[in-house]
Amino acid sequence: MRTIGLGDRVRDDARPARIGLYLASAAVAAAVLAPLGWLVLGALSVPPTSAVELLTRSTTVQVFLNSAVLVVATTAACVLVGVPLAWLTVRTDLPYRRAWTILVALPLVIPSYVGAFAFVSAFGPRGRLQDLLAPLGVESLPSIYGLRGTVLVLTLYTYPYVFVTARAALKTLDTRLIDAARTLRHDRKAAFRRVVVPHLRPAVAAGGLLSALYVLSDLGTPEFMRFQVFATVIYSASTYSLDLASLLSLQLLGVTVLVLAVESRTRGEERLAGTQGGSHRGDVVRLGRWRWVAPLFPAAVAALALVVPVGVLLWWLVDGGSGLTGVAFDPTYALNSVSVAVAAAALATAAGLPIAYLAARRESPLANLFERISYVGYAVPGVVLGLALIFLTTRTVPALYQTLPILVFAYVVRFLPQAVGSTRASFLSVNPRLPEAARTLGRTSIGAFRRVTLPLVAPGLLGGAALVFLTTMKELPATLLLRPTGFETLVTFLWRAQENYAYGAAAVPALLLLAISAASIVVVLRGEGYDVG
Amino acid sequence: MTDRDGAHRDDVRLPSLARRRFLAGVGTAGLGATAGCLGQYLGDDESDAREGVELFGSMRLPPQSRGGTPMAELPNLSGELSVYSGRHEWLVGDLLSYIEAQYDDFSIVPRYESSQNLANKILTAGDASEADVFYSVNAGALGQLAKDGRTLELADAVLDMVPAAYRASDGGWTGVSGRARTVPYNTEAFDASEIPTDIEAFPQRGAFENEMGWAPGYGSFQAFVTAMRVLRGPQATKAWLEAMLDAGVQRWGNEQLVAQAVANGEISLGFTNHYYVQRVLANDPDAPIATAFTRNDAGAIFNVAGAAVVDTAGDRSLAENFVRHLLSAEAQEYFAVQTFEYPLVPEVEPVGDLPPVDELQPPADLDLTKLSDLEPTLELMRDVGITV
Repeated sequence: MRTIGLGDRVRDDARPARIGLYLASAAVAAAVLAPLGWLVLGALSVPPTSAVELLTRSTTVQVFLNSAVLVVATTAACVLVGVPLAWLTVRTDLPYRRAWTILVALPLVIPSYVGAFAFVSAFGPRGRLQDLLAPLGVESLPSIYGLRGTVLVLTLYTYPYVFVTARAALKTLDTRLIDAARTLRHDRKAAFRRVVVPHLRPAVAAGGLLSALYVLSDLGTPEFMRFQVFATVIYSASTYSLDLASLLSLQLLGVTVLVLAVESRTRGEERLAGTQGGSHRGDVVRLGRWRWVAPLFPAAVAALALVVPVGVLLWWLVDGGSGLTGVAFDPTYALNSVSVAVAAAALATAAGLPIAYLAARRESPLANLFERISYVGYAVPGVVLGLALIFLTTRTVPALYQTLPILVFAYVVRFLPQAVGSTRASFLSVNPRLPEAARTLGRTSIGAFRRVTLPLVAPGLLGGAALVFLTTMKELPATLLLRPTGFETLVTFLWRAQENYAYGAAAVPALLLLAISAASIVVVLRGEGYDVG
Repeated sequence: MTDRDGAHRDDVRLPSLARRRFLAGVGTAGLGATAGCLGQYLGDDESDAREGVELFGSMRLPPQSRGGTPMAELPNLSGELSVYSGRHEWLVGDLLSYIEAQYDDFSIVPRYESSQNLANKILTAGDASEADVFYSVNAGALGQLAKDGRTLELADAVLDMVPAAYRASDGGWTGVSGRARTVPYNTEAFDASEIPTDIEAFPQRGAFENEMGWAPGYGSFQAFVTAMRVLRGPQATKAWLEAMLDAGVQRWGNEQLVAQAVANGEISLGFTNHYYVQRVLANDPDAPIATAFTRNDAGAIFNVAGAAVVDTAGDRSLAENFVRHLLSAEAQEYFAVQTFEYPLVPEVEPVGDLPPVDELQPPADLDLTKLSDLEPTLELMRDVGITV
């Protein structure tokens, strides 16, 4: 009798709290979707005939083709670089495998636009390399600008996505399956095709997806490399032709959805590698006499992706180059970056809390829906989100246009998935019996949450907040579009320094951004217990 | 010549960090409400502000005079004045405060938004408008207000300070500062005499092939193409654009980059607003870059930021005298040194090697208010394959 009575009381007590959670989640989900709604409204306000005319123009089609070629070429290059590197470091007797693993994963630490900045300033027509070679009679270097340079730089900084996922898959590859295939009279090639490829495919597709999404949303790299893609044209057109900018934004969203669809199709029904247990790792492949040649590959990649930019930045730091009186770095820029990032981290964590809790605790379709909606920002490029918020503010509350609250809101929408993901995982790790026990001891449901659950999930919340903080610090396109006039951050200053060829002045913020990114990777690796062995 | 230029160079090479941050951009607090018409009235100020274009200079008010009429010789200002400013606070706030500080019982109530927004507000509010003075980033919004009869004719004492080309012929508004289209060129590649004075000639010179740069996404460039379209018609404009593309003109993200690329020798000449060259020189006085002008064609258009007295002004003479203050020696000096804009009062010298405003040869019969008609220009550029 007594237990039943308690159960009833508990349920009654929990209902208002649960309704509150659903309401809060619904509010966050609505806030996340609102900007996109305004973007669609903005695009729909373009008369259909001129919309069709604009979208079918050769110049617009060219932007689409440029973006498509860039995404396909970069993703393919990422696979061509990432998978062999993964194979070398997992399945062969490559010397110093551990060290190479860390080294070739490190480019993830460098935001691609910092890399692009370093490459342009080093290999551009009047860059450092040209200066060095000039006495030797080298008049000009092959141009770094355009498609080739953009693919090069983006590949160097996004192949680690493929590398990391392919490694995970290779590590769980049950080598006995290959042996089995061989006993079934498959030659090496056929065994590879029928065993290894299907096993790798979902992982490579997942890594490739991350690379592709990154490429689609990146503004800095193509802009610095003077290659016109969706992001750069949308950014530019948002000052003079919102028609074009909004139509291209919708098109870009469509392409993003297409990429997601291609990935989920490629992955198929299989579970992502790395979640399966009980693999058998047989002997590694012996490289034989290639053993001492093979390291040249990871060495070359690491040299290009790491040594070049860090070297260039350090060089600019020591020897700032000519004529920098106009553009000087001011420490308040770093302070500005930190303050908006702190605000975004706190808000994203708070906004993610109800959604993550419901997703972890309740198997209701509504909770699932809210969680999915919270992931929208992940697929929306910063430049599209920025434009959507320009629409939203100028058409509803013009006073909010280019203000800090809207900028922080953009960060929250964009990086909410990180907060939700991390928070949800930590809720899952808390045994529901614990708060229940607290409630049998007389706590209310909210009291039990505060005294038992919250302390247990706090590290996860902090981890999520740290991730949001660090990615916010690196965000470029939405910051450029939405910041108040004169509000300068590390990334906007880097942008402006590049514009003014003030390379020396950019060394400090660029190196600071590297340090910040490095810290964010440490947080990620800690959270996931990533194993480089 | 050189003495004078040297002195000016020194002026612009003394940047104060706080001041520069203060002046870091020009832009608009609000944005037009509809997608379609937004672009028309966003001046360069908006894209400059977004790009965070930095304006250099030593902020020294009161300045050493470059000529013109000092504020002390103008009628005193007293009372309260409502100024609708389409120029951003970051750009002109300091100047307004300075004027305010000259008089004990004078105060300005500024409202900063985009020029088009403010013009719309004045038009919509009708007689209820609280604006005394409308200060716009371009002639387009001023012309719209004047056309609807919402501006008061300025007194000759005000109008006579500015060359006739840079104010409304009916006296409805006057320019206050300006920006000239120029041809920056690399002095190691070409002599001044080798730069054509006719915009038509550029795509035809073999020496310029693959050596030219432009920034078609930039507002002032689009105004330049608009001017060509208005002056010579769409067919001739299209032909010129195509010839330029055939000559291998290179595209850059903005005009600062074009000017820098010229100075670096990546290209030998470009098409930019005049102040980008001054910014390059402020960074590096020895940079091998100089400014050339075409004559009497779209390549030499001169666009202005200007002011008008709104017909609902409470105290007409106060509003008018305030506009005169914008043309004072101090204010004109401020534009020359702080923003590298062109002072419109001919007695006030521009910075650097630039010729005084009355020596420029912009197209004689171009109505500046027409430069705001952007959409046909964008279509024209798209027609020839330029992504804008």
